[in-house]
Amino acid sequence: MSAVEFSINTLKIFLLWFSIVNVVPVMLWVERRAAGLIQDRPGPNRVGPFGLFQAIADVIKFFWKMDPVPKHVNRFLFLIAPILSLIPASLTLAALPFADKMVIWGREYQLQVSDLHVGILYMLAIGSLGAYGILFGGWASNNKYSLLGALRASAQMISYEIPLGLAACGAVLFFGTFSLRGMVFMQDGTLFGGLLPKWGIFFQPLGFLIFFITSLAETNRVPFDLPETEGELVAGFHTEYGSMKFAMFMMAEYMNLATMSGLMTAMYFGGWHIPYVSDATLLSWLGGSVNLLAIVQLGVFFFKLYTFLLIYVWIRWTLPRFRFDQLMRVAWKNLIPLSMINLIVTAILLYFWEMR
Amino acid sequence: MSKEWLICGAGIMTLASALMVVLSSNAIYSAIGLLISLFGLSALYLLWGSAFLSVIQVLIYAGAIVVLFVFVVMLLDMSRVVQTGKGPGWFTTLLVTGTGWIFSLFLLRALNRGNFAGAIEHKALGSISVLSKILFREYLWPFEVLSVFLLAVVISAYCLARPESLDNSGSDGVSIKGPKGGRS
Repeated sequence: MSAVEFSINTLKIFLLWFSIVNVVPVMLWVERRAAGLIQDRPGPNRVGPFGLFQAIADVIKFFWKMDPVPKHVNRFLFLIAPILSLIPASLTLAALPFADKMVIWGREYQLQVSDLHVGILYMLAIGSLGAYGILFGGWASNNKYSLLGALRASAQMISYEIPLGLAACGAVLFFGTFSLRGMVFMQDGTLFGGLLPKWGIFFQPLGFLIFFITSLAETNRVPFDLPETEGELVAGFHTEYGSMKFAMFMMAEYMNLATMSGLMTAMYFGGWHIPYVSDATLLSWLGGSVNLLAIVQLGVFFFKLYTFLLIYVWIRWTLPRFRFDQLMRVAWKNLIPLSMINLIVTAILLYFWEMR
Repeated sequence: MSKEWLICGAGIMTLASALMVVLSSNAIYSAIGLLISLFGLSALYLLWGSAFLSVIQVLIYAGAIVVLFVFVVMLLDMSRVVQTGKGPGWFTTLLVTGTGWIFSLFLLRALNRGNFAGAIEHKALGSISVLSKILFREYLWPFEVLSVFLLAVVISAYCLARPESLDNSGSDGVSIKGPKGGRS
């Protein structure tokens, strides 16, 4: 690998990571404005046009706030816990396929950090490590509310990982590959003579539903945000955290949300494909320029990703929270059997399809 | 050359953190050591060309099982358990480590003699399709027997650990109860 390739690859990785990190300030603003819209009030609208600079003000506030470490905490774990939750959140996006490829000075660069042949497994594996940040943070805080929040978080994340994995298994069976890039390529085109785009959701509707519900639980979003219920646990696992340490937990949450949205886009919603327009047609419209195509694909991917994020926000301000026993019952008694049925039915149907 | 150095680094990481598991007096630090050790193993698998095994290692062990360990450690307040009594004496420690070492040498010898993956090239094991074909065609029967065996282990563990009556709360006021049956 020459120096030029190395620097372009490094720049590519940084830009892809940066585009996901920037979901955080954007979502800070979107979340509050959408909350305002849903609750019939303006929301933050004073700082800049439409209150857009509110996010910047928030970030500056987080950086400049006093950053105390309470005396009763386990100092080492208390300090590394936010880092432990931010690192997996940054690592998971390595397998996300943002767009096809760019050609720079005669060399091809995939717009994906790495096309792993175990892509989905990698994302699930690294994503499951996010529990440690919450667990250690809650335990190190040496506070009953924090500990209870951490215990809830770990129980919840382990329980919901099972239906998440099983639902993803359905899609893996259908596409016959673990590589997310391969999956996106298989979703190019239309079904039933141009009636529907050939997207994963039309083959795996139940799988997608289960995946979506469990992704809410995995990222600790309402209605599954039991680890941080303000009514009973003050603020849950991050009760003792302030300033940038708290912001790191929040960044990790939003980045996980973005990665989950990206995963659903790639697995069930055709990734970078525009419905009814195949890649080849789009390429001819753009005059055969691969780089322009990649930019359009990038735009389409992020459009779908942000649509999912908006749905998350919509759900957050619409649904009430579960009780913990209800949450566990949903996972173990409803979602796991359903995802197993989905997997078995998919396998049987695929078997007969192959026989044909 | 650099790959050998990476393998050495991962091996040292695995062993050092495994030592931390045994030597640390705080159960939480032991759990962290176990976590790092599992990551070292996963890195070793990756460097030996088996990406699937490496990812599964992180997914199952680091992502689920050690989380449960940490969960239990936090729930039980191990600080009261750990400080009771002395550790084992140096003679016992030496005996146990020595026996373990000798047995691992025998195991290594046996593994080297056996012709497990004779037909399978090492490179091919990294790809999932090859691995799954071997697992579900040639070794399907042992695979299924193993899963039934694991189920039996889970059920027997539950039977052993089950309290006499379900409303038997712990002595320190921590009671873990399931949701009251039916609609709650």
